[in-house]
Amino acid sequence: MKRIDFSSVLQKLRNFYSGRKRVPSFSEMQQLFGYRSKGGVSCLVGHLLERGILERDRSGRLLPTFHLESRLKLLGNIQAGFPSPAEEELADTLSLDEFLIRKPQSSYLVKVTGDSMIEAGIMPGDLVIVERGRDPRPGDIVIAEVDGAWTMKYFGKRGNRIFLQAANKKYAPFFPSEKLTIGGVVVANVRKYK
Amino acid sequence: MSENTNNLVTIHSFPHPILHVDCDAFFASVEQALKPELRGKPVVTGKERGIVACASYEAKALGVRRPMRLWDARKRVPGLICLPSDYETYSLYSKRMFAIMRRFTPAVEEYSIDEGFAELEGLRRIYRTGYPEIAWKIKDAIQRELGITVSVGLSASKTLAKLASKEQKPDGFTVVRGREIHLFLRKMPLDRVCGFGPNLTALLQKNGIRTVLDYILKPEAWARKLLGKIGVELWHELRGEAVYPVTAEEKHDYLSVSKSKTFTPPSEDKNFVRAQLVRNLESVFIKLRRHRLRAQRIAVYLRTQDYRSYGLEAELDRGTSSALEAVPVADQLFEKIFRAGTLYRLTGVVLSKIEGEDRALQYSLFDDTAKIRSLRAIDRVIDDLSDLFGKHTLHLGTTLWLGRYRQHLSERGDLPARKAQLLRGETFRQRVHIPMWQIRV
Repeated sequence: MKRIDFSSVLQKLRNFYSGRKRVPSFSEMQQLFGYRSKGGVSCLVGHLLERGILERDRSGRLLPTFHLESRLKLLGNIQAGFPSPAEEELADTLSLDEFLIRKPQSSYLVKVTGDSMIEAGIMPGDLVIVERGRDPRPGDIVIAEVDGAWTMKYFGKRGNRIFLQAANKKYAPFFPSEKLTIGGVVVANVRKYK
Repeated sequence: MSENTNNLVTIHSFPHPILHVDCDAFFASVEQALKPELRGKPVVTGKERGIVACASYEAKALGVRRPMRLWDARKRVPGLICLPSDYETYSLYSKRMFAIMRRFTPAVEEYSIDEGFAELEGLRRIYRTGYPEIAWKIKDAIQRELGITVSVGLSASKTLAKLASKEQKPDGFTVVRGREIHLFLRKMPLDRVCGFGPNLTALLQKNGIRTVLDYILKPEAWARKLLGKIGVELWHELRGEAVYPVTAEEKHDYLSVSKSKTFTPPSEDKNFVRAQLVRNLESVFIKLRRHRLRAQRIAVYLRTQDYRSYGLEAELDRGTSSALEAVPVADQLFEKIFRAGTLYRLTGVVLSKIEGEDRALQYSLFDDTAKIRSLRAIDRVIDDLSDLFGKHTLHLGTTLWLGRYRQHLSERGDLPARKAQLLRGETFRQRVHIPMWQIRV
């Protein structure tokens, strides 16, 4: 027998309800919770009615209850009252991860070894976060492959010509004549001291 | 009637468009994506197991196959690059691939670590373009953001989509519209179909069926009579009538949970082999608790140096999620299997009769409920410490017999690059969950 994970069911119901302001139909619930038949849905609805998560009106139509309102926080099936103001405020904060990484699916870590960006404050040993598959704009710091070697430089354009510029007086700007592969764009730099 | 319209099974393009995404030489491709100097070279993973777990296309071209012994593969290809498997990074890639697919549609099924299905029905409206173009967008996004290639198949059922993605590999893109099914299957050998194993294939061939098209042109009743339910399901699937749904939810029901590990060199030291077994037992119960499950049946097996396996199983009075409760049972089984003077190379544990932790537990008359409660408290501490400091921070004394040994003493014990070069603040057991691109800039 399949166990019902009520917290995930409730989460999905709430998402649906907040988007469409109504209770999903049986066939929508079938999709939503991955049931093979409506019989399964009906069994689930039975449980939800029993727990007071849904109600029926006199014509048998399913009605939402306060449980589906997302402003109330629910612990198990016990209503925990209004969330404390602190919790409410913190709902809209970013973790350091989210702050540094815009697209988690295409972000990578690269450990810096060279000194080509030293004047931009990127030191050997730093850890940069690189977004792969993003088109660079002039002024971006990019990771590029030049003649089989990888390098980190400012990406620039002069007219139609692309060039790479190091943040280090030792290195001259580089105008690639042939193939230039941009591996990704540097979006953050992390340096951990302790 | 011309050949092209003869045998037509449907005139719809995509009655039910389903996409199958299959990574090309997944483990090796991930290694090549993160270590650009490996691109274009023959690379295999599986060094820690002594066999080829995955071979890059360059290695395949030179005749390296899975699961060849590494020694044989090296003899065949002198410059072969053998890498230890880095399952952590492969899993991160896998998660990313499915996340990218989910950006397009929520109906994504994670079929295995490196392949998945997506249901595209209804997406035309959002993207204002046809299904093949949407499929191409998904393939392109995965390739651009992950730096590996995938082969995709788009068709009207899961079985057809999977056949299509296999059609052209690597970097394949195969679309089979409803009206092209009969052409696609005209020369398709039976054993390519997922579900037609060697036995079914032989049976069909005996009945004069040579290609998949032959099969779907038979009447449904014929398929039912010969192959039963599976036969009918595949008959419909192959005709472009989807029977198997794309199941987007995660897997929750487990029949068994197991953990086994090989160690080299093989050992005849009883304490050491037992320690290996107990370590597996601890690991399998950690896994069990993570999924909030309990198990009632426990099987223990040992494999000798000459690849013979010996196992025994026992049933507990009730389900448990505690390794401490299972150790005495496992120990008894171990005593019965272990033979002095024999070299062992692997130990394993399989837990079955699995149930959810939230089910009510029936204690027997002689159960010491106070003790059970305190065991559960210990488990919570073990799991909390694991979260903070990594798995096996708090472990049973028996596993001290493992010493500083990490599975393999020879070069098979080499660590994947990600584990060999830790960042400040990382430990052997816990690392930042972002893949590390191994380039020098």
